[in-house]
Amino acid sequence: MNNFEPLIAVFSCHYCSYAAADLAGSSRIQYPPNIRVIKIPCTGRVSVNHILKALECGADGVYVAGCLEGTCHFISGNFKAKQRVQYAKNLLSEINMEPERVQMYFMSAAEGAKFANVAKEMTETIRELGPSPLGQNKSE
Amino acid sequence: MSRDVLVIGGGIAGIQASLDLAEQGFTVYLVERLPSIGGKMAQLDKTFPTNDCSICIMGPKLFEVERHPNTQLLTYTDVEAVKGGAGNFTVTVRKKARYVDEAKCTACGLCAEKCPVSVPDVFNMNMDTRSAIYKYFPQGIPSVYTIDDSVCRIFKGKKCNICAKICEAKAVNYEQKDAVFDLNVGAIIVATGFDVFDPSDIKPYGYGTIPDVITAMEFERLLNASGPTGGHLERLSSLNTKAEIEQLEKQIKHAKAGLKRAEKNGQNSDKVDEVKKRLAEMNESLDGLKAKEASLAELRDIAFVQCVGSRDLRYNAHCCSYGCMHSVKEAVVATEHESELKSTIFFTDMRAYGKEFHEYCLRGGSEYGIHFVRGRVAEIAQGDGGRPVVWCEDMDTRKVEQHPFDLVVLATACVPSQGSASLATMLGFNLDESGFVKTDPNKPVDTSVQGIFVCGCAQGPMDIPSSVSLASAAASMAVQTVKALG
Amino acid sequence: METELRIGVFVCHCGINIAGVLDIEDLCEYAGTLPNVVTVQPNLFTCAETGTSGIKNAVKEHDLNRVVVAACTPRTHEPIFRASCQEAGINPYFFEMVNIREHCSWVHRHDREAAQGKARDLIRMAVARAMFLEPIETFKSKVEPRALVIGAGIAGMSSALALAGEGFDVTLLEKKAEMGGLLRDLHKVAPSEVGAGELVEQKVAAIKQEGRIQCFTSATLEEVSGYVGNYSATFSSNGNTHTHKVGAIIVATGGAPLKPMGLYNYDGKRVITQSELETKLKSGKLDAKSIVMIQCVGARIPERNYCSRICCMVAIKNSLHIKEIAKDAKVFVLYRDIQAYGVENEALFLKAKEAGVRFIRYNLESPPVVGDGNVEIYHPAMGKEVPLPAELVVLSTPIVAHDDAESVSRILKVPVNEYRFFLEAHAKLSPLDFATNGIYLCGNAHYPATVREAISQALGAASRASIILSHDAIERVGTVARVDQELCSSCFACVKVCPYQVPHMDEGGKAMIEPMQCQGCGICVAECPAEAIQFGYVSDAQIMAACEALCA
Repeated sequence: MNNFEPLIAVFSCHYCSYAAADLAGSSRIQYPPNIRVIKIPCTGRVSVNHILKALECGADGVYVAGCLEGTCHFISGNFKAKQRVQYAKNLLSEINMEPERVQMYFMSAAEGAKFANVAKEMTETIRELGPSPLGQNKSE
Repeated sequence: MSRDVLVIGGGIAGIQASLDLAEQGFTVYLVERLPSIGGKMAQLDKTFPTNDCSICIMGPKLFEVERHPNTQLLTYTDVEAVKGGAGNFTVTVRKKARYVDEAKCTACGLCAEKCPVSVPDVFNMNMDTRSAIYKYFPQGIPSVYTIDDSVCRIFKGKKCNICAKICEAKAVNYEQKDAVFDLNVGAIIVATGFDVFDPSDIKPYGYGTIPDVITAMEFERLLNASGPTGGHLERLSSLNTKAEIEQLEKQIKHAKAGLKRAEKNGQNSDKVDEVKKRLAEMNESLDGLKAKEASLAELRDIAFVQCVGSRDLRYNAHCCSYGCMHSVKEAVVATEHESELKSTIFFTDMRAYGKEFHEYCLRGGSEYGIHFVRGRVAEIAQGDGGRPVVWCEDMDTRKVEQHPFDLVVLATACVPSQGSASLATMLGFNLDESGFVKTDPNKPVDTSVQGIFVCGCAQGPMDIPSSVSLASAAASMAVQTVKALG
Repeated sequence: METELRIGVFVCHCGINIAGVLDIEDLCEYAGTLPNVVTVQPNLFTCAETGTSGIKNAVKEHDLNRVVVAACTPRTHEPIFRASCQEAGINPYFFEMVNIREHCSWVHRHDREAAQGKARDLIRMAVARAMFLEPIETFKSKVEPRALVIGAGIAGMSSALALAGEGFDVTLLEKKAEMGGLLRDLHKVAPSEVGAGELVEQKVAAIKQEGRIQCFTSATLEEVSGYVGNYSATFSSNGNTHTHKVGAIIVATGGAPLKPMGLYNYDGKRVITQSELETKLKSGKLDAKSIVMIQCVGARIPERNYCSRICCMVAIKNSLHIKEIAKDAKVFVLYRDIQAYGVENEALFLKAKEAGVRFIRYNLESPPVVGDGNVEIYHPAMGKEVPLPAELVVLSTPIVAHDDAESVSRILKVPVNEYRFFLEAHAKLSPLDFATNGIYLCGNAHYPATVREAISQALGAASRASIILSHDAIERVGTVARVDQELCSSCFACVKVCPYQVPHMDEGGKAMIEPMQCQGCGICVAECPAEAIQFGYVSDAQIMAACEALCA
């Protein structure tokens, strides 16, 4: 599966990681085109259901990208998100799926390069894991 | 007595000052001498150090200030006289005739398409043409057309009413007259900006004689998607050659048609031979031009020459304060257009003193391969094939060197805007030794006249964030004035 | 849904910013095949007047009830398009924006095919999300006509005075026992030549006279809650704790010159900093006849890669003062690039050169070496190392952020950059605003600034804050959570999870959220096990729809 191109869903918060992605853009920092950003006001808005839904609908990996720890615009949203991501990881382990398919990242609005690096890192991780077993019914 | 405020100049500083005032509930008259607000920032392609597309970030502000219920935009308008003092100024303004009804024009652009007049387009630094009825720039606000009566055929006494005929909105009105009226305001903010220094004064730099020596602002337009090349990076000599080719091709087509007619009509062979001979000559020069154009297609080496007319006692003693960053940005953006491109910046001091500026320059060197040469350029000569050759003493090696380039971009000085001296006389405030509005460093927006404030490059050379900060500062002082006296 | 969904999609070229990488025609064609899409239109610039009026016309012509724009970032352009929707007569929140510039064309320039596929996916996801958008109305919230200014240096004091001048009450906090900040210890301010202490005293006197300003010294900010127009700030001052209601906040916490410990034999005696030199100049205790100043000490180096903006002018100012006291004193300034930008600074630089101050450039690779009574430097014109006599060595060190920048950042929930300078909302057009509405910044807290610049920014920040304070009430958009009490199982999950302690149990034992206080983060929405909390702004249905549309 050398030419496997993973599809990755990203839940990105308005205040930090979405802004970091914008900065990556305006700085023209290139990263793999495998991610699809879903914008949310705060990572605390993301539920376990959302993460599972993305996997069920064909994502080979999902990550939640919030503000740096301690600087969440809504104080504790990113901590909640971290807990929920951990919960989702546990669920994946229980059904023998690689928990690495779901991750939590933290970055500030000034970290365009970090946004790009995370996209790269996640793409590489998922590429190594191969296609998600849940994605059988993907049309590709 | 009035609590309204007049802002003179619709660049980014004037716009920001107007918005701050309008948002606080004050009525603002924003006067702009050109047909559209936007100023110099609207002409820039990108901005440092974030590489934000200039018009993209400015566009929303143009809209906002036009749409705000507390602002009244007076574009294509000059300030003619000022009376009174702080809290109660009477300002006479002349709203020049556009010969187009602002309320009716839908900016469809059909008139400009059909207009037979073609003159240099100032917004594109004269590198392109526009018609006599025109829009100052595509995203210009207000979004209406204007007839330039200095070039329109009607105003030259010739017969023409194409634009009036074609306008479905019936917006064209050749009879429109200037409107002169008074505004009563409590405070005035001067945001008249700056001019770009004309480098043709510096003869050794060859601007105006060597086609591929251009100014930074011209380069900005060459990089821009709505510029004369549609954002395709080309040098001026190539553009000129293309225009010549087009012209010649037209002539050849014309001559061919003439020849066909002559042959058909059985005209005497002498005449036919003569036309044939001319045609052959023209074809030959066309081949020559095409070869020249092909040789110009590749743009590989660009030089940026800093401090052109700045930090130079013969012209302007002051530093333009944004030139270094401006050139680094242009080099970065040019490399994004054409990854094979090599940029060299000839500088005196690298003045990268703002937030993220120094980091930006380092990235320019490491990621975009910009070559920095410390040294003041002595001369730009014309070398082989008309290429500009830059002569300079490299201050690190202490050697005088010469390098040919495909294109040389001059980072020209920031000089007071043309009307600033007469405005100073009219309003009564003092200018500093460089001709910018004089202020006390500890009262940074106060002019020497109470109730009149200054912001942006009218106060002195500065970058965009400083202009925006100063604009808000001027708004604060204006509010304090009208609350106390208005 | 009762009414038929009619979606219009508008795809922006953004000149060549998008169209240079993506095939817009293909995107338009593709968008046209998506469910409920009734019209697709490309624009050269959707944000131009022609673009927005195009949206308005299309809404009328095609009877659209949802609008999707594929262009740049919603962080800058969403308000314009929402306004266009509103002007066209549909709820501004029946609008969805998809970012195919910052998130696509700009970052995948070398893989056009994949970028094209991604852009199609993003548009499909946005259209899917658009089907579940809900209308959102606005409501009003009152404003406290008082500002909190944190820091009483030249910036904070100037801001406070400007706000008072505009007619607003101010709470001014200073962590030290006295107002004045950095200027208190300095000699004179360039280029006005006014004594720094004198300037401080003028401002302090004005503040004391101004009835609208309440200044608290030895103060520490402890907690801030609330939102724009209606903050509650708790701080301690001289052993007492106060809570003030404020409508807007200005951060003017300043910075401090770096102590060059371990650099160039710094000892505070023979090798001192520029501020230590100013103390000497102020007290008239300078007797050295040969002085060498070294620029960029601890700045523009890999560990601290920024230029501190003001140090060159500080060195030039002080070298001129030395020359005034002792014309025959030898003053050398060893620099990398002289930052004498603008009119005044360059004039002062010229004046220093005329006064006989010698400027010698050095490279990062061959820095000067401070020896015993001299400084050795490679002289580029002479092409060799030369020793310069130096009875006194003065190090120009950068302004660095205060240690408490991080705690202020945490309390106010506003970001700092890697050097702990506060991060403005936008580098170009919002230099004095934070991304959080109602909080502003100025002076050294933002980045090193001259006195002129600090005052300019302070007045500017006051103007920005006045925009909030000048209204009795501000309109708020109803992007808030609402409990469907029928579904509420009274489990307290929302009460426990809300970072603002907004949800509470009403008399009937059901959860209740005060819309005025709700911050719209959606944390409770995701937490509620009964799915009883509605959040029309970003509903579960919208997120699920976007997920479902991940694959074609």
